[in-house]
Amino acid sequence: MKPVLLRPWRDSAFRILALAVCIAALSLASIVLLRAELEQRFIIRSAEMLGGDLMLVGSEPPEASQLDTLAALRQAQVADFASVVMHGDEMLLVSARAVDHHYPLYGQLHIAADRFAPATVVAQGPPPGEVWVADQVLDRLGVQMGEPLHIGRLPLTLTAVIRQEPDQGAGFYSMNPRVLLHQADLAATGVLGPGTRVRHRLMLGGDAASITAANLAIEGTLRADQSLRTVADAADRTRGPLHQLTLWVSLGVLLVSLLCGAAVFLATSQRVRRRARLAALLRSFGASRRQVTTRLLGEEFVAVVPAAILGTGLGISLILLVRQLLGWQGPLAAATGDWIAVLAGPLVLWLAFALPRLLSLVRVPAVDVLGGRLDTHPVAGALELAAALGAPVMLAALLTGSLEELGQLLLLLILLGALLPALLWPLLKALDVGSRRLPLASRLAIRRLSRRPGLTLPLLASLTVAMAVLGLAGLVGNQLLDDWRKRLPEQAPNHFVFNLFEQDLPPLQAWLNAHQASSQPLYPIVRGRLTDINQVPVQDAVTKENDDAQRALNRDLALTAIQPGQTLPPSNRVISGDWPPQAGGVSVEKELAHNLGLALRDQVQFVTSQGTLTADITSIREVDWESFEPNFYFMFASEGLAGQDITWLTSFWLPEGDGARLAALLRDLPHITVIDVRALLDQAQALVTQASHATALLAILLMAAALLVLGAALLGAQAQRGQDNALLRTLGAGRPLISRVTWLESLLLGLCAALGATLIMLAALYPLAQRLFAGALPWSPWLLLPVGLGLVVTLAGVRLGARAQRHAPLALLRQA
Amino acid sequence: MTVMPGESVAITGPSGSGKSTLLGLLAGLDAPSEGDILLAGTAFSSLDDDARALRRGERCAFVFQAFHLVDDLNVLENVMLPLEIQRRKNAGNIARQWLERVGLGHRLKHFPTTLSGGEQQRVALARAFAVTPRLLFADEPTGSLDHANGERISSLLFELNREAGTALVLVTHDQQLAERCHRQLRLEDGRL
Repeated sequence: MKPVLLRPWRDSAFRILALAVCIAALSLASIVLLRAELEQRFIIRSAEMLGGDLMLVGSEPPEASQLDTLAALRQAQVADFASVVMHGDEMLLVSARAVDHHYPLYGQLHIAADRFAPATVVAQGPPPGEVWVADQVLDRLGVQMGEPLHIGRLPLTLTAVIRQEPDQGAGFYSMNPRVLLHQADLAATGVLGPGTRVRHRLMLGGDAASITAANLAIEGTLRADQSLRTVADAADRTRGPLHQLTLWVSLGVLLVSLLCGAAVFLATSQRVRRRARLAALLRSFGASRRQVTTRLLGEEFVAVVPAAILGTGLGISLILLVRQLLGWQGPLAAATGDWIAVLAGPLVLWLAFALPRLLSLVRVPAVDVLGGRLDTHPVAGALELAAALGAPVMLAALLTGSLEELGQLLLLLILLGALLPALLWPLLKALDVGSRRLPLASRLAIRRLSRRPGLTLPLLASLTVAMAVLGLAGLVGNQLLDDWRKRLPEQAPNHFVFNLFEQDLPPLQAWLNAHQASSQPLYPIVRGRLTDINQVPVQDAVTKENDDAQRALNRDLALTAIQPGQTLPPSNRVISGDWPPQAGGVSVEKELAHNLGLALRDQVQFVTSQGTLTADITSIREVDWESFEPNFYFMFASEGLAGQDITWLTSFWLPEGDGARLAALLRDLPHITVIDVRALLDQAQALVTQASHATALLAILLMAAALLVLGAALLGAQAQRGQDNALLRTLGAGRPLISRVTWLESLLLGLCAALGATLIMLAALYPLAQRLFAGALPWSPWLLLPVGLGLVVTLAGVRLGARAQRHAPLALLRQA
Repeated sequence: MTVMPGESVAITGPSGSGKSTLLGLLAGLDAPSEGDILLAGTAFSSLDDDARALRRGERCAFVFQAFHLVDDLNVLENVMLPLEIQRRKNAGNIARQWLERVGLGHRLKHFPTTLSGGEQQRVALARAFAVTPRLLFADEPTGSLDHANGERISSLLFELNREAGTALVLVTHDQQLAERCHRQLRLEDGRL
């Protein structure tokens, strides 16, 4: 390496600076790439839930002209309708789906050769002449594989059992079992006549640009019954681990940028002090400002670049390793914009935080520097810092694509960054004024902080931000993991069973006990169809164009009632009204309430097998449909379903084992329906494991960056502390006095930073909870972390102070 | 080498000859690798750091070329500092008197960075004499000042020294300053 590259490395401040740039590059590269990977998986998952990148829905098939317009995209056509299947004399109401040979466009279709056979993945739906059905159809109709099933007037051969559909989302709540057939057979069944309610879906796949173009092109051609659904619509409805993690990682980019920027800023401040004499000498020898800038900046730049390259290389390697460990296939997901951020980000960050400080070398008159008067004016220092803060904000804006999601948090951080010194500085000044009658050690400690704004404010701000970020990383990371663990506990129910009668409950319990299966609460179920809202027939109360509402109205809904002593299920959250529903009351799911225009105190009426059922809406609930728990649109008061035909529903966790156990249960209770959700559960659990690993990686990166800032801040202040102590010793102060001053100063610094960090954490708690957890964050011991870190800062300050005391005072005074 | 009470001794010599190191050793700021330094007839250099600091505070004072005032203390607080370290009563009044004496009574609340070099060295002199030292060490006290200010400071130094009857050990390159001392010692090749 050429000497010019090595020269800056002799300075300890430069080594900290280089380490900060290296960690910034490492963190940015790994977080940006990780974010791209997660985002891609999130989009793929949303597309899988939707069935395509774009979907054209209508009650009639799409027009030929529309198909022509969309010819450049990959297409799959699906028709969903309610129908009846027959086997001999047995009939069963089913959710039928007719698919073409392009289905599924995204995701995987899992089928099995028999009721308890292992599942395999297939790329297409059933060929013409065949039918595939859900487990329940076999149980309810007693049909065997290879036997014919009639749909309408067409007999189709049963060839497979459906285990998992790509676009079912949380679809296993549907009361009617799924039946898949080929579209070519649809006309021959004769079930679709005029007036039949069918939902025709054209699923479209392609790259982002062609999807946007198609969206624009088709929008103007939509019939009254048609609508477009995008991935964003699907993504909006889910708050799963991937969504939470993507948001948290986006915030992580901002926080790591801020922290590394702070470390760069602190290290450059020291660097400037050490390079000031050279700059002044160059100026006094007649060098122009430009020459001085070029020389000093050039040297720094050339020396910083290898650190940035090393960090970026390590970051990319880390992500490649993570991909390998998590079994993520395919090329790296990062787009051009991401790569620009990865490659240019560390240098932009360095320039933003270091440049204003370095330029101060040529702004300050040379004579001031040579005369030892280099102190930056606090206002100029604050302006430099404010200008530098723009870089991570811009970087975050670039990386998040839009600031919509994190805008509130970002605004909060900027406000706090600006307000914090304004809040803490008067506190220190007040301490200064109030300290006149305090002992010498206390006065000296307070004045070292209160009378050096140029040193204290950046130090305090950096420590505060670092502590707040460490606390938030711990709090949020831990809460996310906890959230996910609660959502999917180790023994999450992997089977759902319904159509249980009262007399079935003891044999079911005996079977559960015999197989070490743990069961969840029992829910009473009454099938009912919503007929009236506020005594107005629903068909008049709800607009015909509202497709979602129509779908809710044209099928039986599973109504349940709260059992005495039963609490609100963890996957539910009451967003308005009172819980639990009192006599005559019912609680409604939020999205359905929105689609049907239902509000608190509205009256709803259902038709059931026993007549009508009426209740007033007393609460509206948000439901996490991705939880593996039974969830319901309507939950009545405990006696609300009295006198109705009640069956029971429960879920249970069954340990791994052979299918004979379930077969035995179904032999004893042939009328019950058991749904196996192990495949879905495994997929969700794998996702949670991956998200947990990613969260741990982010926490490590954030901690490394925060510790770097703490180190840079404390080391930066060490030289000044050493000099202060040397002078005190020269004036006759003994070690006990100096130790007391160091202890008190470090304690005051640590506690002030802890106070600031706690304030930031408390202020960030609400928007974070809203964004990441769609609710409130409980009190957590992590909120005490800043106080603990304040004590760590105190101890570190004392230790560094003790190290400074080991030097003979004469040596330190000569260095000055 | 012996310095008697009230005596002033100049140590001169070429750059790098070890003048400042010798001064630091005499003042107990550093410990010698061999030999002994006695202060008022009792052991000094063989004491530990804290004991040396205590005795230095009680009996000695220091004036530096670079002034070494505490930037975050005002002028009055700077002069009070060594008095407070020694827990002397009336530190504020004593400091005020000495600052009046060096002509800075009107700048008590100013901070060092707002003073000129000459004014800073006058504060340093007030700080040094405020503790009524038996022995004053001065390391190039006029080295950072222009000629006129240097003259004024050296005159003040010798005047205060005479009034207080303090022994003075002065390191300097300035021959004129050295000649104002009772005795001159030259340090060359490690020998006096």
